[in-house]
Amino acid sequence: MSISTRTIAARRQSTEVSPTAMPGDRTVKGTILSLATVVILLSAWEIMARAKHSVYIPPVSTIAVTFVHEWFSPTFRDQGIPSLYRMFCGYAIAATLGVSMGVFIGYYRWAYRLLDPVLQYARATPPTAIIPVGILLIGIGDWMKILVIAFGAFWPVLINSADGARLVPRERLDTARVFGLSSFDSLIRVVVPSALPQIAAGLRTGLAIAFILIVVSEMIGSTNGLGYYILQAQRTFAIPEMYGGVVLLAILGYCLNAVFVLVESRVLGWHYGQTARTQ
Amino acid sequence: MTPKKFRVNVPGIAFALGCIAIMEVLARLGWLTSYVPPPSIIFASLFEGIFNGELSSQIGATLAVYFWGLSQATVLAVFLGVMMGTYRPVYNAFRTIIEFMRPIPSVAMIPLAILFLGLGPQMRVSVVTYAAFWPIMISTLYGVRGIDPQALDVARNFGIVGLQALWRVTLPAAVTGIMTGFRVSATIALVVTVTTELVAGNSGVGFYISQMEQANRLPPMYAAIILTGILGVILNAIFFQLDRRIVFWTPAAQDRVA
Repeated sequence: MSISTRTIAARRQSTEVSPTAMPGDRTVKGTILSLATVVILLSAWEIMARAKHSVYIPPVSTIAVTFVHEWFSPTFRDQGIPSLYRMFCGYAIAATLGVSMGVFIGYYRWAYRLLDPVLQYARATPPTAIIPVGILLIGIGDWMKILVIAFGAFWPVLINSADGARLVPRERLDTARVFGLSSFDSLIRVVVPSALPQIAAGLRTGLAIAFILIVVSEMIGSTNGLGYYILQAQRTFAIPEMYGGVVLLAILGYCLNAVFVLVESRVLGWHYGQTARTQ
Repeated sequence: MTPKKFRVNVPGIAFALGCIAIMEVLARLGWLTSYVPPPSIIFASLFEGIFNGELSSQIGATLAVYFWGLSQATVLAVFLGVMMGTYRPVYNAFRTIIEFMRPIPSVAMIPLAILFLGLGPQMRVSVVTYAAFWPIMISTLYGVRGIDPQALDVARNFGIVGLQALWRVTLPAAVTGIMTGFRVSATIALVVTVTTELVAGNSGVGFYISQMEQANRLPPMYAAIILTGILGVILNAIFFQLDRRIVFWTPAAQDRVA
């Protein structure tokens, strides 16, 4: 029961880039309507902003020009690349440690029981709260951010991998034993593949947290990076630049998610195909 | 399936206490850096802060922003989710905007919120609302769109249409989905509340943490960090129980992982 609801949930999450599409949604009329709303809202913004001359709400066209000017320039190298570099280093550490330790913890029941209270607590702690500790212990360099990201993204990956490994159907493990697989072999060849959808769900949550942590850690203690850039733009009243930075973060967030979904559907396509057939 | 019996996880708690004891010994022996005080001092500072009001007043501020933002987000998200799930034109009108706005990390909205609302609680509430809005909205949409069309047909046969059908068929059927999203949002809302206070607050536990860090008063800083975790555990337990009470009929409510 819980396995099938989990896989369905995981599959639903995997199509999140276009949330909850149903047959009949992607009609020409629907697409026109969806684009028309965007155009209407943006033009309303443009007209209002030009009429009011508010400093806080620059016209969309100004933001767009600033965006192109700022981000198709060395600014991206100076502010964007460091952010992405830190995020990927931190995320890679979190993913590697989280999946390997999580599967291990989930497979060996005693380990799960031993660590459960610690995990519950760690999961409930807002990951950003440890940034001040990171600054104290490591300073405000690259490694502070990488380790903070690794620490924050580690828990959801670990917990989801452990849950996935713990809830592998009994029959599969029994079958493995009948075929004479050793304990370690069945961990690699039965437990890990079975837990993959849940692991993917954990990796996805971890990615979202890593993205938040990079922005926040750069806002709190940094001299470059996208979080630093946006907050600095707001403080110096470079308003179009601030909006441009938010737009860039949206685009990066969208791309990260899209890449994740692409990889996930490649890696897990067989899994979803299989569960769909047996349902 | 019978409800899970409450059992004390003795080895687990012993392990956690053991880790704290080892840290205590290491810190007392001076084997850790001076930036990590012994746990006993941190816990003493935690109790002191709670009882002399220094920390407890900040808890009040944090929880006020948290619940305000979360409830505002819930109302808005359920409303929009139900509308989008029920009426296809509404869905089509909003879907592109949503696809563009959803990937923006909520913390990127902090500078924007400061610009319009200053540094007060209002600003933090708006950021928390934004962050907590998405999971509830998406899961409401799933819930509403996942309704068995037959249920609505039956309702129509009995003359239940329009708003009444929305209230008596759609919402009850979608409530499982709504609660799933709500629990995700409840976790995210705490993270974002503390984060916003850390970055640019003028009250709250997160603000207290950053103040103590700048004042180099380490035991209260660690105490406040530990407190955020305790708040998280308590809120999680409350919403877990609430979830089980509200959607008591699903088997998942009986064995869902807390």
